[in-house]
Amino acid sequence: MSRISKNVILVVLTLTSSAFLLFQLYYYKHYLSAKNGSGLSKSKGSRIGFDGMQWRAVKKFIMLTSSQNVPVFLIDPLILELINKNFEQVKNTSHASSTSECKVFCVPRDFTTFALQYQLWKNEEGWFWIAENMGFQCLKIESKDPRLDWIDSLSGTEIPLHYICKLASHAIHLVVFHERSGNYLWHGHLRLKGHVDRKFVPFRKLQFGRYPGAFDRPELQQITVDGLDVLIPKDPVHFLEEIPHSRFIECRYKEARAFFQQYLDDNTVEAMTFQKRAKELLQLAAKTLKKLGVRFWLSSGTCLGWFRQCSIIPYSKDVDLGIFIQDYKSDIISAFQDAGLPLKHKFGKVEDSLELSFQGKDDVKLDIFFFYEETDHMWNGGTQAKTGKKFKYLFPKFTLCWTEFVDTKFRVPCETVEYIEANYGKTWKIPVKTWDWKRSPPNVQPNGVWPVSEWDEVIQLY
Amino acid sequence: MFQACRPSDSGAQRGLVQGSRTPTRIGFAITRYWGPGSGSPQPPTRPAGCKAAEGPNTSRTRGQQTLAAALSAARRPLTPRRLRRRKRGGGPAGPGRGRERHGGGGGRGAPGRAVRARVGLERGQGSLRYCCRHGLARTVVTPPYDMDDWKPSPLIKPFGARKKRSWYLTWKYKLTNQRALRRFCQTGAVLFLLVTVIVNIKLILDTRRAISEASEDLEPEQDYDEALGRLEPPRRRGSGPRRVLDVEVYSSRSKVYVAVDGTTVLEDEAQEQGRGIHVIVLNQATGHVMAKRVFDTYSPHEDEAMVLFLNMVAPGRVLICTVKDEGSFHLKDTAKALLRSLGSQAGPALGWRDTWAFVGRKGGPVLGEKHSKSPALSSWGDPVLLKTDVPLSSAEEAECHWADTELNRRRRRFCSKVEGYGSVCSCKDPTPIEFSPDPLPDNKVLNVPVAVIAGNRPNYLYRMLRSLLSAQGVSPQMITVFIDGYYEEPMDVVALFGLRGIQHTPISIKNARVSQHYKASLTATFNLFPEAKFAVVLEEDLDIAVDFFSFLSQSIHLLEEDDSLYCISAWNDQGYEHTAEDPALLYRVETMPGLGWVLRKSLYKEELEPKWPTPEKLWDWDMWMRMPEQRRGRECIIPDVSRSYHFGIVGLNMNGYFHEAYFKKHKFNTVPGVQLRNVDSLKKDAYEVEVHRLLSEAEVLDHSKNPCEDSFLPDTEGHTYVAFIRMEKDDDFTTWTQLAKCLRIWDLDVRGNHRGLWRLFRKKNHFLVVGVPASPYSMKKPPSITPIFLESPPKEEGGPGAAEQT
Repeated sequence: MSRISKNVILVVLTLTSSAFLLFQLYYYKHYLSAKNGSGLSKSKGSRIGFDGMQWRAVKKFIMLTSSQNVPVFLIDPLILELINKNFEQVKNTSHASSTSECKVFCVPRDFTTFALQYQLWKNEEGWFWIAENMGFQCLKIESKDPRLDWIDSLSGTEIPLHYICKLASHAIHLVVFHERSGNYLWHGHLRLKGHVDRKFVPFRKLQFGRYPGAFDRPELQQITVDGLDVLIPKDPVHFLEEIPHSRFIECRYKEARAFFQQYLDDNTVEAMTFQKRAKELLQLAAKTLKKLGVRFWLSSGTCLGWFRQCSIIPYSKDVDLGIFIQDYKSDIISAFQDAGLPLKHKFGKVEDSLELSFQGKDDVKLDIFFFYEETDHMWNGGTQAKTGKKFKYLFPKFTLCWTEFVDTKFRVPCETVEYIEANYGKTWKIPVKTWDWKRSPPNVQPNGVWPVSEWDEVIQLY
Repeated sequence: MFQACRPSDSGAQRGLVQGSRTPTRIGFAITRYWGPGSGSPQPPTRPAGCKAAEGPNTSRTRGQQTLAAALSAARRPLTPRRLRRRKRGGGPAGPGRGRERHGGGGGRGAPGRAVRARVGLERGQGSLRYCCRHGLARTVVTPPYDMDDWKPSPLIKPFGARKKRSWYLTWKYKLTNQRALRRFCQTGAVLFLLVTVIVNIKLILDTRRAISEASEDLEPEQDYDEALGRLEPPRRRGSGPRRVLDVEVYSSRSKVYVAVDGTTVLEDEAQEQGRGIHVIVLNQATGHVMAKRVFDTYSPHEDEAMVLFLNMVAPGRVLICTVKDEGSFHLKDTAKALLRSLGSQAGPALGWRDTWAFVGRKGGPVLGEKHSKSPALSSWGDPVLLKTDVPLSSAEEAECHWADTELNRRRRRFCSKVEGYGSVCSCKDPTPIEFSPDPLPDNKVLNVPVAVIAGNRPNYLYRMLRSLLSAQGVSPQMITVFIDGYYEEPMDVVALFGLRGIQHTPISIKNARVSQHYKASLTATFNLFPEAKFAVVLEEDLDIAVDFFSFLSQSIHLLEEDDSLYCISAWNDQGYEHTAEDPALLYRVETMPGLGWVLRKSLYKEELEPKWPTPEKLWDWDMWMRMPEQRRGRECIIPDVSRSYHFGIVGLNMNGYFHEAYFKKHKFNTVPGVQLRNVDSLKKDAYEVEVHRLLSEAEVLDHSKNPCEDSFLPDTEGHTYVAFIRMEKDDDFTTWTQLAKCLRIWDLDVRGNHRGLWRLFRKKNHFLVVGVPASPYSMKKPPSITPIFLESPPKEEGGPGAAEQT
């Protein structure tokens, strides 16, 4: 009897088990079809060739940002170039992309780079979680705010600089632009902290973040590429041109503070008035040259003031700028005149030792030196009005970087120390109030005399 | 999909058929079915025999992983849990947890079910293997039941069954005498079946839930393979060994201290300070100090504050109380009853100059108490030193189970660190920390940065930020809180609301410290928002009116268009309950009231910043700003009814009496969306026209009456009255000060005047006061009227010091 009942139990159990198995099969099938069904219909609906990992990641990212109202715009140089090439096509046939195959976003690459203006970002923290939830693995790179750097007594919440969000093998690099005084956008240096997984993405291949960068605030436009609506800079060509020269150097606030601890700031009314006037003159000059599209940088004493003390040296009597001679435009003089800065004197000629001086308001002079490039060095010229003697100031070769000075974006030589040491020697850290432009600089060389016949042309005083 | 024991045995149907006959096989089929479709077969070289109850580790792990993958795939859309895991990952236990989730392990809450199911499966798999192997080795060990009992299941195909039967019977007869073996296998089969059923139920439930969740999910594209990452981190295995805190509490006449685990968390031996009951709240799980307060219960009303505070402390927290000097004089019955409810014996009976030390859990047991009675009125009780052990509870007990959202994550972080913020940390129905006030249509101040200047008064800051974030038209990302000093708690409050906080190393002392803090904050604000033309400056001890931004939005263009303006302020110095009436009315005044104001960037950058008082000058920044050198005759716009309310008491320059007298009765607008009247008439020239119009239609009061009498103004409503007082020179305010005194308004210095004219409300009538002859409006005085003159009383004690309010 016991055997029978046992067997009965076994049978019952077997049957139950089978029944459950069937149920399970049923549900699992249901589940699978529900899951695959949606995926299937999706891929059916989309065009052929639109299944690249890159395209999917970008699509997902755009879905994420548009649902969260995060106004990201595309700054990826590779993509922008492609878009730019196809720009006319895209424009002419607004729905051409829906018929043709995926041309732009399916291009094989490791990253797609987007940017965002931080102050337009309303829900940063929430966004992060949603991104992770959608399957992105995100890395956030933060740093302290450089806009607070000048006061060492402030320490605040760190600001986000970069987000890198990975979806399977493709990563989206989101560069966070911050607004800076001088109406430009700044992005930070992508510096990995100790605990970060260095193999998270191939960081070396990133297009942005190797250095901090500065950009003009771009106007944006919406376009549809490969079935995706993206914002891109209205003038992609200009933006692409900016990228290689966007490197930004912060003023060395710490050193400047140390300098002022040693030498004390000049707080007299005269000093402050001069600084204020020089600042206005610099800003006016920057505006004028920018309008002309002429590249220029802070040179000589102004550059030293920026580098050493992050301010205008109060006892310097003028403001100095440098321009490459190949960027010279004949309408510079008239443009400055129109801006209310009459020409004070002009030395040299375009072919040799050109130097312009403009008379600013309130007795502050603006000197513009033109730089000539040789194979292994750069130089600019000087002329003594009385004697017609020529001088040559030699500099090691340099490239140009952006910086912020007197609330304005300026270029400075990236190799600033070399530049300043050439001009002022190793002791540039020590303030010197008496300076003879013909003798004091260590990089000055006599360069002959202008022939008297040319004096009328090469020495013009107003 | 199905995988039978042997590598060759791959047909799903066959698996089913066989399974239906031999229960062991069913189980196996089920189990493997949850494995991967391409799951690797069992190693064929496995030793046969029933004793091989469990497979080798390798195969087990694989089964586990694939199962985990399947399970997690099914549970993919469990978003909040993932979120929580992320957050925890950020904590100290981060990396460890990360690893655990790959290896699989326990879960918590609902996921726990799935995990248990898996464990069950494993077990099933093990026993199944055991019998399956057995069956395979000898084809079938024993018939699990008689053939007579066999009822063909509809599932079974007769062909397979018939074929199997003979094969099966042969073996059955061969093995009949091996009874023990047969029994063993039978029992095993029964056990296995039971397990299978349980496992099946679990799996069905799980699958079902997964389906329903998947269909609810808005994001159907779930095809990324992150399956392993989906598993929950395991529940913490207990809380380790229960830890104990060693707490020392000392109470005496001149010194109190509290040490937790040898670290002094409170020490007060300063003279003439810190009298009363010191209260410390510890986190019951970590032992961290969450709040530190002292209630001077020798003085009136402090016991009420203590009751308020103790009631706000969450249940379960560790409370430490100790008395310095005297703590009983104004300890009233309510407070004593509360101490009794905490379990204290001596607290409710605390007497004059007794010493008392107490450690207890809120709502829980008393952990230690010592008390020493004062022997006589003139002497103190003996110092008492209480040493006690406080057992720590687990972190989970100490935390509330709020829904896992971003807001609650902030809340949890906050509530595990600090105490004394009331219902924000209440487990049930906590007060919201996000306010979504209506946006303002056409908001002109949406992009104006807001700088909140704060010190170390986190409770004030909390109250202030609540009101600020509730104001219509606020944009939280424009707010920056500047904290003077490296205080943690104010930063915690700032983080609770998800705002930006900046700490500032204190420079200099006293008022100069405040000045330097202001300067750094203002400069930083304009650096952080380089595009801003204005900044709103607030302080931590202000309530902000619901229409604060609406008020600014309607008036800010004045600051752009009218150079004769210095600021727009939300505060009317003379706007008391009995002297302010019209929320739509604005004034121009020569004084700078502060307390919620708008600063023009150009004014700051070009004039104020370069000249700002240096650290060695012990000046008040606001007094400095009011100086004629800075103000240069410019005026501020203020509302009749203030848009801010100054609730601060314990400030740098304030004492309780002062606040009571001059700030408490201030009128504060609570009406949303007030439309300001005739804003453009506030511009320089238009305002003169307006004032002249007002004076022309104003009824001249009876100057023979005493202006301090209530009857000086008739009991009318809506009239405009004017009175003329004597004011010899621009800076002669003798009569005005006396008049202000009897009007019970600000009389410590001159506020709210515009070219010798004061405007306020009395008994709902607009009341104008003109100083004659200094004011240019004196010409409106009828020749017959003699200006009122009030003499200042002989100087005796003077008020409570100079006007030091900001």
